[in-house]
Amino acid sequence: MKQARRLAAVSCEAAALGLHVGQKATDAAALVPELQVADAEPQADAQALRELVDWCVRFSPAAAADAPDGVFLDISGVAHLWGGEAELMDDLRSRLAVNGLPFRLAIADTPGAAWALAHHGADGTIAPPNGQGELLAPLPPQALRLEPEAAAQIARLGLRRVGQLMEIPRAPLGRRFGRHVLERLDQALGRGAEALAFRRPPTPWVARLAFFEPISAPEDMARVTQDVTAKLCARLEREGRGARRFEVAFHRVDGKAPSVAVGLSLAGRDAKRIARLFQPKLETVDPGFGVESVTICAYAVEAVSGRQARLDAGQDPAVEDGLAPLVDRLVNRLGPTRVFRVRPRESHVPELSAGRDLPLERPAEARPWDRETPRPVRLFRQPEPLEAVIALTPDDPPSQFRWRGRLHRIRRAEGPERIAQEWWKQDIGDVSVRHVRDYYRVEDAEGGRFWLFRSGLYHAGEPAKWWLHGLFP
Amino acid sequence: MSDFRGQKLAAIRAKVAALETGGRAAAGALPFGANEIDGCLPGGGLSLGRWHEIVGPGLEAETSAAPAGFAALAAAPLAKGGEAVWVFRRDDLWAPGLDGLGFPPERLIQVCARDEAEVLAVMEDALATAGVAAVFGEVEAVDLTAGRRLQLACERRGSTGFVIKRRPFGGPAKVERAGSVAASRWRVASAPSEPPPGEFGLGAPRFEVALERCRGGRPGAWILEADAAYSWEAGDVAHPLRLVARLGDRELAPAQPADRRRAA
Repeated sequence: MKQARRLAAVSCEAAALGLHVGQKATDAAALVPELQVADAEPQADAQALRELVDWCVRFSPAAAADAPDGVFLDISGVAHLWGGEAELMDDLRSRLAVNGLPFRLAIADTPGAAWALAHHGADGTIAPPNGQGELLAPLPPQALRLEPEAAAQIARLGLRRVGQLMEIPRAPLGRRFGRHVLERLDQALGRGAEALAFRRPPTPWVARLAFFEPISAPEDMARVTQDVTAKLCARLEREGRGARRFEVAFHRVDGKAPSVAVGLSLAGRDAKRIARLFQPKLETVDPGFGVESVTICAYAVEAVSGRQARLDAGQDPAVEDGLAPLVDRLVNRLGPTRVFRVRPRESHVPELSAGRDLPLERPAEARPWDRETPRPVRLFRQPEPLEAVIALTPDDPPSQFRWRGRLHRIRRAEGPERIAQEWWKQDIGDVSVRHVRDYYRVEDAEGGRFWLFRSGLYHAGEPAKWWLHGLFP
Repeated sequence: MSDFRGQKLAAIRAKVAALETGGRAAAGALPFGANEIDGCLPGGGLSLGRWHEIVGPGLEAETSAAPAGFAALAAAPLAKGGEAVWVFRRDDLWAPGLDGLGFPPERLIQVCARDEAEVLAVMEDALATAGVAAVFGEVEAVDLTAGRRLQLACERRGSTGFVIKRRPFGGPAKVERAGSVAASRWRVASAPSEPPPGEFGLGAPRFEVALERCRGGRPGAWILEADAAYSWEAGDVAHPLRLVARLGDRELAPAQPADRRRAA
């Protein structure tokens, strides 16, 4: 029995003659002697479906394959480009018909309802918003994309329509047929979310160069990088756009494709500049037995208007001329964490009050630092412990301390400035008076100015801990 | 006759200056606003389009708080006209402190380089960039070749470099060969502050500044004070450094002309 050849798919004409999927090929041949059969090719079908999904991207950027023979299109927010959902469906219908594919279409709020209507409802159904319930009710339970066992059990109990399932209270329904049935019902009616695996093209901004002979010499790689960048940038320029990230992939003879990427701080399309950013990274690309083609993709593409050369040359230069290329060179050479601008953050804990931003990013809204409270120009990442501190407790500044082997006698001092933990940001159980710091600004006899603090509150009999946190000029 | 001699001297001076700048016009000078200092400097101020060396004595060679503060104060008027770049290996520079001194931290791009050569390379790159007015770099030593390269980069756009000599992670001092292309060499240390009479605490930051070497100028030593630091008007004064006294005699300098404190 296992060896029997069965029908995997039937044409409309065959279905009209009473043949159906899953029927034994011999039975079918007995019913329709002139039947033509061909071997099923699931892989070729899957490939064709993928191509269809890619083609569908013309209607919506979010298209997902529904194996073995369906496609989901998320048309929320795109239907108006055709003048409405009906017009979009008409366009899709005429284009599919030209391809000679048999198809059924439906539009609904949820993928589940659209699937049910396309497979079991009338072709071309457009469910009104929140109106899928009435349309689904007369459909057979299979329309819910159920597992075969659940579907068989539902059929055994004599439930013939989705509407009957909807009438059963949820708890007994789930107990009897499994959670899966409930999930499918919820997905169809829009009560539960369904994730679709959308197949998105990487980016429409791609350029490609192929070569007669594989290349591998470093200078060739540099030249083709320049050429392919120029090709893509010419297109960006034509359409008034620029991109913030470029990735060049070298497709090798052995099928591997190592790639290198560069980022720009402002969207750009200056081919020479971008190619120069790629230059130092090309050393890391192993050409193997040779590279036969090279592609470049642009990401984060945005509109960039052309700039007129300034008439008042020599005045304040534009950011695009000087600073942006410099920042890009540095970021691509040193890494994005090593080039930064420091901006205020809303916090009074010294370490947290200064945050690092990318140099050309717009500043976030935050209160500027208070210039009238002195802060050091050098702040140690780890406060350094002080020895031999002589200070009058509880809140006098030290009169001397030893740091890095040198004794400093304090001549003048300011303080204390008490800085506590930000207790409102954490669990109340974690807050402790041990994290309270009393900061002092002190000056020694030679003129050295220091920012030190005593940690914790004063407890009689317990030696106070002193730390040096920063240095003033 | 003496007039003829003066003219001749002026012509020769101009010729020498032109030779020294490689034929390019000098980018000007940034006066400190005190004749005692400006008179020692060629062109009447800190020459722009050159690079200057700032060293600190003793432990300051490692911590470099006073040299960094002095460099930021000396360059603060420049940062009003362009961006600034600060390159270092040990990232303990703290922007709120610069803000308090009157240096605008929002104009400052900080770069943390991985080694000494990279600091110099980034400095060179930044100096040659349009729109960058001042570049600070914390390095242990600048050899003749690197110094010459920095100088060429400065001349391309007229931006000014500040090389802060620092051994950020301690260690023995490098023996430096004599000779440097730097336009000037300053030795900067913190000096005890003087709070206004009748007030407690610390006064405005004071620096003991020695101009050790200066091309076309004379050495000198002074005590300077950043009198607007840590006040609401920090950053709004024409030049944040004020001469307090010539070193040696601690007499107070004559009262400053009123226009020096006007808002920039």
